Amino acid sequence: MSDSPTLSRRAVLGGIGVAAVASAGGFAVGQRTADASSDSSKGEAQLAAAAIVPFHGEHQAGIATPVQDRLLFGAFDLMTDDRQALVSLLRTWTSSAEALTQGKPVGTDDTTPEAPPDDTGEATGLSPARLTLTFGFGPTIFTIGGRDRFGLADRRPAALVDLPAFAGDDLDPGRSGGDLAVQVCADDPQVAFHALRNLTRQAKGTAVLRWSEMGFGRTSTTTSGSSATPRNLQGFKDGTNNLRGDDTADMAKFVWAGAGDGSDWMAGGSYMVTRRIRMFLETWDRSTLSDQEGTIGRQKLSGAPLGATAEHDTVDLAARDAKGALVVPADAHIRLASHSTNDGIRILRRGYSFTDGVNPVTGQLDGGLFFIAYQRDPRTGFIPLQRRLAEHDALNEYIQHTGSAVFACPPGVRPGGWIGEGLF
Amino acid sequence: MSRVSTPRLRARSGVAGVVGAATLAGLALAGCGSSGSGASTSGTSATKSGVHIVKLTITDDGCTPNPLSVTSGPATIEITNTGSGAVTEAEVMQGDKILGEAEDVAPGLTGVFSLTLQPGTYTVNCPGGSGSGKGKLVVSGSTVTTQVAEGATDAVTSYRAFLEDQTNRLVETTAPFVAAVQAGDVAKAKTLYAAARPYYEAIEPVAESFGDLDPLIDARAGDPLPAGAKWGGFHRIEKALFQDNTTAGMAPVAAELLTNVKTLREKVANVKLEPAQIANGAVDLLNEVSTSKITGEEERYSHVDLVDFRANVDGAEAAYQSLRPMLTARQAALAAELAARFAAVDKALGAYKSGPGQYDYVSYTKLTSADTRKLSAVVDALAEPLSQVSKAVVQ
Repeated sequence: MSDSPTLSRRAVLGGIGVAAVASAGGFAVGQRTADASSDSSKGEAQLAAAAIVPFHGEHQAGIATPVQDRLLFGAFDLMTDDRQALVSLLRTWTSSAEALTQGKPVGTDDTTPEAPPDDTGEATGLSPARLTLTFGFGPTIFTIGGRDRFGLADRRPAALVDLPAFAGDDLDPGRSGGDLAVQVCADDPQVAFHALRNLTRQAKGTAVLRWSEMGFGRTSTTTSGSSATPRNLQGFKDGTNNLRGDDTADMAKFVWAGAGDGSDWMAGGSYMVTRRIRMFLETWDRSTLSDQEGTIGRQKLSGAPLGATAEHDTVDLAARDAKGALVVPADAHIRLASHSTNDGIRILRRGYSFTDGVNPVTGQLDGGLFFIAYQRDPRTGFIPLQRRLAEHDALNEYIQHTGSAVFACPPGVRPGGWIGEGLF
Repeated sequence: MSRVSTPRLRARSGVAGVVGAATLAGLALAGCGSSGSGASTSGTSATKSGVHIVKLTITDDGCTPNPLSVTSGPATIEITNTGSGAVTEAEVMQGDKILGEAEDVAPGLTGVFSLTLQPGTYTVNCPGGSGSGKGKLVVSGSTVTTQVAEGATDAVTSYRAFLEDQTNRLVETTAPFVAAVQAGDVAKAKTLYAAARPYYEAIEPVAESFGDLDPLIDARAGDPLPAGAKWGGFHRIEKALFQDNTTAGMAPVAAELLTNVKTLREKVANVKLEPAQIANGAVDLLNEVSTSKITGEEERYSHVDLVDFRANVDGAEAAYQSLRPMLTARQAALAAELAARFAAVDKALGAYKSGPGQYDYVSYTKLTSADTRKLSAVVDALAEPLSQVSKAVVQ
């Protein structure tokens, strides 16, 4: 079942925190929605029917939330070293996020003829589209060039490490890093664009957009029971064995930072790694089917592991064919990425396909996977996994990592609070 | 087509409409006076929404009726040309100052302009006719008080002084530039080109309010031009000097440029201004920076874009300074924020100075994309709060 009310119920069980919202007295359903009830007894089913994902909760929305159809990711650079200006921006973004996720416009005044409207207006009349805004802090918010910019240096979590260089990286600084991140997800790209555009406008003078990436065709299943595993641009099902957002035990173990992890203010938060992974689609497309399947370790059409018959069949990494060769090759992507070969390490992938048009040098398609992963600690999550993949994965012949960033995403916001409040 | 040439800042974001309403509604109206109807067969006076409608007819002699009489208050002068084309213009003057005018009213066409009339005697001038061309307008009644926002008059006075200063400098710097072009001195003309540019760029939104003048003075290659006009003005000469390295054929273009900047100077003296328009003009100036200076489009042959950039910001800052007392009284935090943001732009732009002069800047070609991106960010950071000023000053 993939009906929204069902998903929403699971979301509640997963601890996303609808309860926190309801206890705040309910909320007015956005003016963009047909159902304008503000009845505090409204349940998650009604919220889901109105395509609203609650902004408030124990954890930020957009991590365990069932993955939406579209992404717009924005990384910002701060233009100031004024701590108060940063706090002010986070407060403004919080109230905007509260409004936007309910389908409401930002600001208060769109009608004074002598002034530009507060809201840019392109989402007026559209559904809230399950919009989520997930905020993160980059390492450079704590120190930049050894300088303590905002008096926050001693608050930097040990887990927020600068990512090491990995074999084969070809990182563009213009598509990497950032002081602040906003992961915008929605089922309607215009709703997502509207959200990031208005946050960018409100940031003028304090922060400036450093890079952004638009994503489509969600590439990872993040909730159990979803009807079909989506496919990436290589045509393969992706995320079959992904950690599930509604698996409370695994989320607590692998994704949510704990109170005892070393940084109190991050308890209930998570660490996000993003990688812009360009796929050499032209060379991939002229590889034989068996090469493609051997590279991934799965059958292209069914998604079944090599040697198995159905997508969700157990992967038998030890299986050998009649000649004694491994059925899933030694350098196949699923073997190297499997938690069973990585000391049980798991991460929550939440990536999207992207395209930026045509590569100006080659004239080839510039597209691939905008990889997003959430984890409790990158030092035991993405970093060891990627180190292994970067050195051995057969897929490396067809991909190149061209952008990279890491962010500490603080816990969720309670009503009346603001994003990252605990850090300051 | 007749063209209303009463100076009016261009209608941007609905501001012009609101300002217009304020101008009319804010006036205490005296009753309809009326005169005229017996004095002439073609002149009538009536009121519409409290505004006197004064009909004036252009003939080959000049214009009738004469004298015109009307009661003080806001008035709209409607002009019809029944002549053969010898006279196409009508203006209301006080001494040698034009209060309002309609130009290019060809035979069979009508023109219109509005103004607020205080008691007194004015001249109605319809030049070019076989008669003296001059008539009298007698305004009776009491002095009209306009309700203007606290500080608005000072703001307008201050900004007008800036406009007059800049247009004087524009004429003073364009004249030697034009002379060098006419003398065929390419090297000297190149030097003088950059010296003349700032004083136009600083007031461009006001210049744009005069219809054809802006394209005649400042059109770039490919920009739309007034009907029948050939590409001329600063950028035509810029192309000749900096791309073709010649002044060939430019003497008449230069002469016309000088005429046009002098016309601009005259018109600026009488332009109607409202605080909200001044504020939005400042935003327009920064929009100019964002769209054509940071990209290097404006000065594509000479690459003096940073000179224009500095001048656009100077113009915006002059507007802000004129409005600052009003703004401080209403929204002190916004005024303070703007002061800091102007300072940030000054600092960022200051890194590209090439000499001690106000407009000594390096060539646009020296900028990297990292430079332009940084400059763009500080301009955006200033323009966004600046766009909130018009709302503050009308409330």
